[in-house]
Amino acid sequence: MKKTVLIVYSIIFLTGLAQVKAQNMENNSELKGYKVGDVAADFKLKNVDQKTVSLSDYAAAKGFIVVFTCNHCPYAKAYESRIIALDKKYASKGYPVIAINPNDPIVVPADNFEAMQVRAKEKGFTFPYLFDDGQKVYPQYGATKTPHVFLLNKENGKNIVRYIGAIDDNYADANDVSNKYVEAAVDALLANQPIAQASTVAIGCSIKAQKN
Amino acid sequence: MTLLTLNGSAQNAEKKEPATVGTIKHDYSVKIVRFADLEAVMKKNDDKLYVVNFWATWCRPCVMELPEFMEVNNAYRNNPRFKMILVSLDVAKEAETTVRAFLEKRKMDVDVYLLDDNKRMNEWIPAIDKNWSGAIPATVFYRNGEKVEFIENQIQKSELEQIINKYL
Repeated sequence: MKKTVLIVYSIIFLTGLAQVKAQNMENNSELKGYKVGDVAADFKLKNVDQKTVSLSDYAAAKGFIVVFTCNHCPYAKAYESRIIALDKKYASKGYPVIAINPNDPIVVPADNFEAMQVRAKEKGFTFPYLFDDGQKVYPQYGATKTPHVFLLNKENGKNIVRYIGAIDDNYADANDVSNKYVEAAVDALLANQPIAQASTVAIGCSIKAQKN
Repeated sequence: MTLLTLNGSAQNAEKKEPATVGTIKHDYSVKIVRFADLEAVMKKNDDKLYVVNFWATWCRPCVMELPEFMEVNNAYRNNPRFKMILVSLDVAKEAETTVRAFLEKRKMDVDVYLLDDNKRMNEWIPAIDKNWSGAIPATVFYRNGEKVEFIENQIQKSELEQIINKYL
């Protein structure tokens, strides 16, 4: 009898553990953000011109080149001109750049809203440069560093993630790039072709958040 | 005297004799490597635990965790089964200027390599860990060519010691 009770207790205990584990795994996958093929959520973030920007504001867009970037990171800086070039090339074709600064300005004062306004003006950003105030958007997307690109394609009214990763394969020298990953991906979407390389990785500055 | 020009001194820096502080030699040299060279260094079959930290002088959280890494290295460096390696991701042309000056200023007596393999990031980042997004700091632990741990984040001293003690 004692043995049976023990077994029953063990089963209850183990089932409980399994449930806790399953929940943790779910939470983890949420934290990891989007994979290629996932539906990306819209957002409402403040632009450097003080106006609020959402993806739904762009009724005519075919998609978006969402770039998590910032002021201070040398990698992000190295790519500023190339991000402007992407917007100039693809906004008119239906894929505008939407830049988002995900960093907590308490951790990195150089990335505060006023500094974003200054930087956008200095560099002549042709696209919105949004502030992820409260840091809700970057974890949802799964951005981990700057710059980090999420290429979205509008399909049946939803924004589907079609490419995640780097802009190209040489941050240090724009003149010595062999693979323009983002351009190739947008070109493929425009030509209705599959994207050959749907995700890439590159070194970047980790996104700065305060430790809880 | 070309030696006095910035360029000249950078080119000749490697030939300079290491400065001697007490009995310990600090030369603060930074070896520029490709990924294959780095693999040969950190994946040796010699029973040592290789603690390999990816960092850059411009990376704030990296710079913040380095003093504790140095404390740990100083505590374990005499253990023949332990080896710490720092892999700088600064640009190669700053190896003898920015990176060396950084090491010298902080008296960091540790093996430092500068990984100059920018165009193949999409190959070597997943080769180190398939889940590494490329954010730094990141630390990988190898023993006998096998990866035993990988952490894409800042590491606290206690956590670093815990991992090292687990494998030593």
